[in-house]
Amino acid sequence: MADPAQKSSFSHGLVTAAPIAMGYFPIAFSFGVAATRAGLTGAEAVMLSVIIYAGASQFLALALITSGAPFLVSAFTLVAMNIRHVLYGPALMKRAGAGAGKRYAWLWAFGLTDEVFGAALGALARRRAQFSERFMFGLGLGAYAAWLAGTAAGALAGGGALEGWPVLSAALGFMLPALFLALLLSILSRAQVPVIAVAGTVTVAATLWASPTAGILGGMVAGALVGVLGLGGRHAR
Amino acid sequence: MHDNLLALALIVGGCNWAFRFLPTQLDLSAQAPDGAWARFLAATGPAAIATLAVASLLPMVTARLAEIGPLLAGVLGVLAVFFWRRSVVQATLAGAAAYGAVFALV
Repeated sequence: MADPAQKSSFSHGLVTAAPIAMGYFPIAFSFGVAATRAGLTGAEAVMLSVIIYAGASQFLALALITSGAPFLVSAFTLVAMNIRHVLYGPALMKRAGAGAGKRYAWLWAFGLTDEVFGAALGALARRRAQFSERFMFGLGLGAYAAWLAGTAAGALAGGGALEGWPVLSAALGFMLPALFLALLLSILSRAQVPVIAVAGTVTVAATLWASPTAGILGGMVAGALVGVLGLGGRHAR
Repeated sequence: MHDNLLALALIVGGCNWAFRFLPTQLDLSAQAPDGAWARFLAATGPAAIATLAVASLLPMVTARLAEIGPLLAGVLGVLAVFFWRRSVVQATLAGAAAYGAVFALV
């Protein structure tokens, strides 16, 4: 348990990031491999990780790019995926308490991914850390470094790197569905069931009726409308 | 480097940064908890994640045992480890490992 009178350090943040880094590296590696397999150069793969830094968005970006989706449709879809992140900042600062520093939030908040948010909130809630911007820098940097290193390693290995390893290739190919499923479980609550059910149903219907792109857009819009209509989502974190 | 790819990354990355940073400066708790904006924010995340989970799993659904077996193992692996450890990272890795293991067997 952290000393309540002492704010957590940068190194404490780095240590807290260790489990995230161990998970991020192989996922980012599979992104690097998938990116080069999709025809991107290693530099382009790393650039996507440096600038976007959102796993699901990056994988979906590959799918949209290779499917020839229109630029604006791709941009809207990828941006819409991460709107959920607007909830993280207020939740974290509320947990940090009144007077918590946020002078450098413009920098450390870029690293506020699903996992970093979850780890930070969990550490603060269990009193294993006291909020500080240095702690957030350490936590975010550990995760970010693992993401970039994994991407670079995967891009360096190249799209053909796994041709002699079909089992590993198959396992890495399931990373993205597994990540989405695990994320879905992490936000699942009774209040969200109508939103999730409608989004999933519309995705299937629109995909089969029209196209995968229509399925993704239709599912998101239909699910969000269910929330606006007040049929679900009032008790989201 | 393709200009379109860089432009796409800058737009998406810029919005990601804004989504993550700007709310740390605002007090959204002052918003009416049952307002339309609050409901929209609350529903968008789950809707996006549910949509993407379904969209990524849908192409893998098939009647062929050799292909559905690894899928079932992967899904069960994610479910089992998530409810055991409550960790997205560990559940993801376990699902991929289970998928690969059954893929090797069948």
